[in-house]
Amino acid sequence: MREVVDSDILRQGSFEFIRIHEQSTYTLELFMAYDSIIIDSGNRDFVEKLVRAVRTHNQPDVYLKPIFLLKSSKVEDPLIGNLIDGVIFSINQLEIIADYVRQILLRINDFVFAKSISLEAEVISRIIYLMVSRDKNELFAYLYLNSGLGYVYPEASIYFTPRDEHKLLNVMKTAEIEGLFTSEFNDRIYLCTNCETGILSYREVCPKCSSANSKAEDLVHHFSCAYVGPISDFQNAIDDELNCPKCNKFLNHIGVDYDKPALLHTCNKCGHKYQDYHVKAKCITCYHDNDVENLIPRTISNYYLTKKGRNIAYHGFISTSKDFNEIPGTVKFDVFKTMLEYEVERLKQNDATSNIAYLKISNAGELYSRIGIDRQKTLVTEMIKILRKNLRSSDFIAFYNASTLILSLNEIPTKIANNVLDDVVKLTATLLKKNFRNIEIEIDHHAQPLNTELSHEIQLQNLIKKFDQDA
Amino acid sequence: MDFIAAEIDYFFSYISEVGTGKLIRIFWFFVIFEFARLFVIDFLALIFIYVKRKLTKKKRKEARRLLFLYNPLISIIVPGKNEGKNIYKLVSSLKEQTYRNFELIIVDDGSDDNTEQICKSLKRNGMIDVFIRNEVRGGKASGANTALRVAKGDYIVHLDADSSLDRDAIEQIILPFYEDDRVGAVGGNIMVRNYNDSLATILQSFEYNDAIGIGRMVASYLGVYRIISGAFGAFRTDVLQKVHGWDIGPGLDGDITVKFRKLGYKIVFEDRAVCQTSVPNNFKKLTKQRLRWDKSLIRFRLRKHKDVFIPNENFSILNFLSFLENIFFTIGLNLKWYFYIIDMLVNFPGIVGMIIVMNFFLYSCSNALKLMVFNFFRERRNSPIYIYFPFIPLMVIYHGYYLRIVRSIAYLKELFFKSSYKDAWNPEKTSSKAKQIGI
Ligand SMILES: [Zn+2]
Ligand SMILES: [Zn+2]
Ligand SMILES: [Zn+2]
Repeated sequence: MREVVDSDILRQGSFEFIRIHEQSTYTLELFMAYDSIIIDSGNRDFVEKLVRAVRTHNQPDVYLKPIFLLKSSKVEDPLIGNLIDGVIFSINQLEIIADYVRQILLRINDFVFAKSISLEAEVISRIIYLMVSRDKNELFAYLYLNSGLGYVYPEASIYFTPRDEHKLLNVMKTAEIEGLFTSEFNDRIYLCTNCETGILSYREVCPKCSSANSKAEDLVHHFSCAYVGPISDFQNAIDDELNCPKCNKFLNHIGVDYDKPALLHTCNKCGHKYQDYHVKAKCITCYHDNDVENLIPRTISNYYLTKKGRNIAYHGFISTSKDFNEIPGTVKFDVFKTMLEYEVERLKQNDATSNIAYLKISNAGELYSRIGIDRQKTLVTEMIKILRKNLRSSDFIAFYNASTLILSLNEIPTKIANNVLDDVVKLTATLLKKNFRNIEIEIDHHAQPLNTELSHEIQLQNLIKKFDQDA
Repeated sequence: MDFIAAEIDYFFSYISEVGTGKLIRIFWFFVIFEFARLFVIDFLALIFIYVKRKLTKKKRKEARRLLFLYNPLISIIVPGKNEGKNIYKLVSSLKEQTYRNFELIIVDDGSDDNTEQICKSLKRNGMIDVFIRNEVRGGKASGANTALRVAKGDYIVHLDADSSLDRDAIEQIILPFYEDDRVGAVGGNIMVRNYNDSLATILQSFEYNDAIGIGRMVASYLGVYRIISGAFGAFRTDVLQKVHGWDIGPGLDGDITVKFRKLGYKIVFEDRAVCQTSVPNNFKKLTKQRLRWDKSLIRFRLRKHKDVFIPNENFSILNFLSFLENIFFTIGLNLKWYFYIIDMLVNFPGIVGMIIVMNFFLYSCSNALKLMVFNFFRERRNSPIYIYFPFIPLMVIYHGYYLRIVRSIAYLKELFFKSSYKDAWNPEKTSSKAKQIGI
């Protein structure tokens, strides 16, 4: 082990590159301070681990960092090859890549990073940031042994563990529906019914007991006596002659005194005799033995970024329309803003108190990773249900991001508004405890009165500042 | 009609003149063979069967207890070609069985329709246990032997694909094995499902009801029951294996029972094990079927198993009698009938018309009598017996002329031309082999 030393900081023009060896000690946050990373290693595993760690970091300053490999040969691995920005053969070549680094950094400068409210939107926007910053339009699938599907989308699959990679296919479908990508057929794959991974071992098995241990033999029909049996019935230990166990005659000529009407399998485990074996697909991941008829067929497509998709990088991608469609009781953030504006206007003519508030799951990162995307949605939906039960229909709710709700609680004293939120928090915690044992939810909340003197936008920004500070 | 009325008038004035002796002289064929054997003997045998059943009710109950106690695996085997359309009905009737421990083995003998797809889908749904498809046809015997080779049951029940079973049919056909351990095979009671289809089918239904059904009950009681119909029969698997299964047909149904008998096993008929099947629905198809059956008698009784008549260490008096009875009542009776016709033409040329009408009348009466009297002994009926009454006179023609002529043609063809080897019922490759080695 050794610290990153001065000799590992390489300068080229106004850029600083950091060189990382297998022996280096570093934190990923350290890379924020440099313009590019040079990995100086021939160890494929080390390179992959580092590249994955960088590209899956949660800060754009880290995950979009240009990465180069200092190596004496070309990169064959499609995952690494697509996640790094190039290979240099010596550090004297920094000059050549400096301009490329500049282009990437310039593009990133124009990006707008918004927090997404769902993992789906999060993954889509990160794929797009990475692609647009490299001016790439193609997201292709490559055959890949270490992938849960057998195919890897380098810029996208890294956000999933091999067991969860099938979820990426749904994410990409959503992205396509949103018009961010177009697709082109690449291949068809079949996934395990139990865990939806695609590395399967296919075997011909006994239809009775599913054992693959069997023996196949020709059935022989002796014409003159009508005896039928597997060829072993006719064979003997001494010579190659075939003679009939029923009539003892020699079988001389196929088609004249005997024929082989069928092939018969005999199971060595249960003794069952069969002709049409079943094909079963054993899952290497979860060991489930699938009937091939039930395997889940999926299409692997190659994707092309659309103009609309490119624009995501410059505007941010908070949510897919699906996220909102699926969670009733909320309005889109834009709609929320408009409604808030009307509320402020209304208050100017009325002598009443309305409030603006937030509810934030402060341990969302840990919580969501423990319960998974699907249940995350369930949890949020349930929380909205509790809210709607305790609020009046004139109150409105919107997602600010995946872990934060903003609310407008109208015509009630601020103190009562806070009490209502308190109740909701308690009810949500109880609900979670009932459904997910060993998982605690931490929810911050705060309600403040709307001020008729200030614009709705400023008041909203103030509120957002408040919970961003809390974090 | 006037002619017939005149003949009848003439007949009655004639018999008032002649005595009983003369009457028997004229109608000897009917009196000796038909009435004696087909009514009197049957009637007596049925009474004995009835009494025996009453007396051995306990034994039957005990057999049933043992059957369900040991719960042996039954292999139901169904070989066939292009039978896909019938399989579902069969499978459905099997699902309803009171006896549950069976495996269903279907052998598709080179079908060129959608049989394979139908069976595979039934198999996927667990309604067929073993399905074997032969790309090239091998014939009925090889299909059954294929199933036998893969069967795991203690008993084999052979079914035709176009049969369906009564709910307790499997149970009933296995019970005789538990009543008497010398039983090697049991024949089921075939009833005509499509009796309402045409004149041909209702006449066959009548025939299965009386001549075949009752005939087999009696034959079984007398120990001379010969043919286990391929449509529904049960066999001990170990014995079937011992005789290496079925030999090339046609007539393999009769052949296999001969092989069982030669080993000393009893063959019995179980009228309470009922199977419904479809029969040929026109006379052309029926004629073809009967020609095949009748030819096989010559081929198997007189050629393949002629050793039954030769006294050696395997000789069995019962087998000998059974064969003799069979040959007598089929070939012999057929010949005698022609002899009778000649006798009448030569000795009573003046009253031949009257004799034909009278014979017709006598046969009709005995048919009606049988239909009603025997009905008392049938434990399971396919159809109400009254539907058969209008067909009683036609049955006389069916039995007396139609079947007799078909039989005569079959015997002649087989005796002099060995024409069964040319039958497309078997693939050419097996027929030519069979002919070559003389079976
Ligand atoms: Zn098995
Ligand atoms: Zn042989
Ligand atoms: Zn799996």
